[in-house]
Amino acid sequence: MVELQKDRITRGDFLSFGFIGAVMGAILTIPPAAFVLSPVIKTNVLGQSDVSQDWQMVGPIDDVPDGEPIVIEVDFPIDQIYGNNEVQEQFPDTQKSNEEFAVRSAIWLSWQDGQRPEELQGINGSLTQEQRQLAEENLNILSNICAHLGCPVRWVIVEGEGEFLCPCHGGIYDINGGYIGGPPPRGMFRYPVREVREDGNLYIRHEFDDEDGIPGLTTTRPHVV
Amino acid sequence: MVDWMEDRTGIVTQLEHFLYEPVPKRGAWLYTLGSATLFLIVLQFLTGILLLFYYVPTTDHAWNSVYYIMNEAYFGQLIRGIHYWSANFLLAVIGLHMARTFFSGSYKAPREWNWITGVILLLLVIGLAFTGYLLRWDQDGFWASVVGIKIGSYSPFIGGYVANFLLGGDVAGPATLARFFAIHVWLLPAALAPFIGIHLYLLRRHGEFGNQFEYTDRLAKLHEQQRLEEYARYELDGEEDGAEEDGRNGEDRENGRYSDRE
Amino acid sequence: MVQNVAGGKAKPVEEEVITEDNVFDKPDETMGFFPGQVLKDGWVALFLLIACVVMSYAIPAPLSEPANTAAVDYVPRPEWFFFFYEQMLMFFPGYTLIAFGAVVVPTVFIVLMFAVPWLDREPVYSPLKRPFAVIVGVLILIVVVLNMLLAVSRIINFPEG
Repeated sequence: MVELQKDRITRGDFLSFGFIGAVMGAILTIPPAAFVLSPVIKTNVLGQSDVSQDWQMVGPIDDVPDGEPIVIEVDFPIDQIYGNNEVQEQFPDTQKSNEEFAVRSAIWLSWQDGQRPEELQGINGSLTQEQRQLAEENLNILSNICAHLGCPVRWVIVEGEGEFLCPCHGGIYDINGGYIGGPPPRGMFRYPVREVREDGNLYIRHEFDDEDGIPGLTTTRPHVV
Repeated sequence: MVDWMEDRTGIVTQLEHFLYEPVPKRGAWLYTLGSATLFLIVLQFLTGILLLFYYVPTTDHAWNSVYYIMNEAYFGQLIRGIHYWSANFLLAVIGLHMARTFFSGSYKAPREWNWITGVILLLLVIGLAFTGYLLRWDQDGFWASVVGIKIGSYSPFIGGYVANFLLGGDVAGPATLARFFAIHVWLLPAALAPFIGIHLYLLRRHGEFGNQFEYTDRLAKLHEQQRLEEYARYELDGEEDGAEEDGRNGEDRENGRYSDRE
Repeated sequence: MVQNVAGGKAKPVEEEVITEDNVFDKPDETMGFFPGQVLKDGWVALFLLIACVVMSYAIPAPLSEPANTAAVDYVPRPEWFFFFYEQMLMFFPGYTLIAFGAVVVPTVFIVLMFAVPWLDREPVYSPLKRPFAVIVGVLILIVVVLNMLLAVSRIINFPEG
């Protein structure tokens, strides 16, 4: 074993170590952290979204039956990594992937309390302003993502009563998406930004009725779709 | 040749030191749990590296590539099977290993750091199990990860940040898979390896004899001897100090035992 | 300290008087790490490897349908080692309790796990001599196993799987 040689650290040595450490530390921590955390910075801090904020067509409101909901799949285009729009537009004629990426959401549609309003019975052709507004007010547009832990909810009939059931932990919601029982902290997520157009089609945007969980502590979003 | 290697690297002495260390004979089978864990982790590394020859971490190809591994690649079913099953066995064996350590009190001084690195390893393995599940991009893995991410979103104060960090955005998509892939394939294994090293180094440093169990016969002999001495003294001195002596002996024994370990 | 016995074979020891000072000097009976322990480790490793190979073909690693965010009839289930945790989530409804039961309690548990060597500092090793630690350990095991069984029964009894 070689004898250890413990030289005294001079003031200059100490400052040099400090300088080397500070420069290397700054270069090796700040850019990597920002690199890895960029989605968090973009979404949580700057409030941007990866999902297109354009109107997406859901379908004709005439298809929504009385007394039970129907499920409709809607693709919301998203903009992540290789699905990024600007990246996709580069060299469009080569073999490079140009596939559009979307998050496919199952949307439950039902009438308020399962009752289609009188004025909207047997609609065909174009809708009047009043009818459109009435439809917008009376439609439940619900995400299939359970408000508890995000499992896909289903419509089940229990003892003649229909209800939304989450298969994971047994959360139960009524036809309006309101909370009935089980562990979920709130009702199902709704799409509040909606528009019924003159041709009778429903359009929505990718927004949810977020709410504070424990004020200041937690907020809720579907997070996954 | 052997002499030359010894002169240049000292490897022979090291190997002898490593191979001929005395280890407990009584609990030999109990002490295979740790090496079984190591073996299963090595299997994970090997098969994981092999799977990467075919696996593609993109949302449009991940499932296809796993399907290809399972159905087209030679022995793909075996390689992925070993990766999957050894992961399952790994968690079971780690549970047993921890239970053994806990109930035998093997975490006590001077082995605190063995226990701490062990807990870190456990957390890393759980992280690996969680992130690995999503990589198949099938229904099972996807929805289990959704639940995991949603649980993270309930963290007080940082819930939203945790969820969006794991998702790589605000919805599940290409970024989510890319992140889980990076965490599963590089970040956690790279963190796992040094802690395994530390765990094994500490094991060698403090030895395997952390348990009274290994001294059963000797302790029995000691107690027998003490009892005889006690009895003899009792015969000589009369009745009064018997019980007192006994208490002091027990204390001494434990103190002696403790300092012995340092 | 344990003396390294060169050559792997213990020399026969003359009849030794065991006192409180030397009782822990060396354990009852030792063997060399090689071949004794290595061989046993090898058998266990071989058993595990064969088990992995057999299971790979008996129950191939699962691959269900491709991920679909728009599923409505899929029932998500965790892996078996998360069953007990998943079952615990059933017992915590509402914002406060979900955050408490799903995040805070496990975090506290992990912190306590790190602190175990300092929580139980008694210098005795035998499980019989530290009833408190053993009772806590057994209670945790019981909670985990019971929750796992509950989760399994819930999963089995779920209508239409």
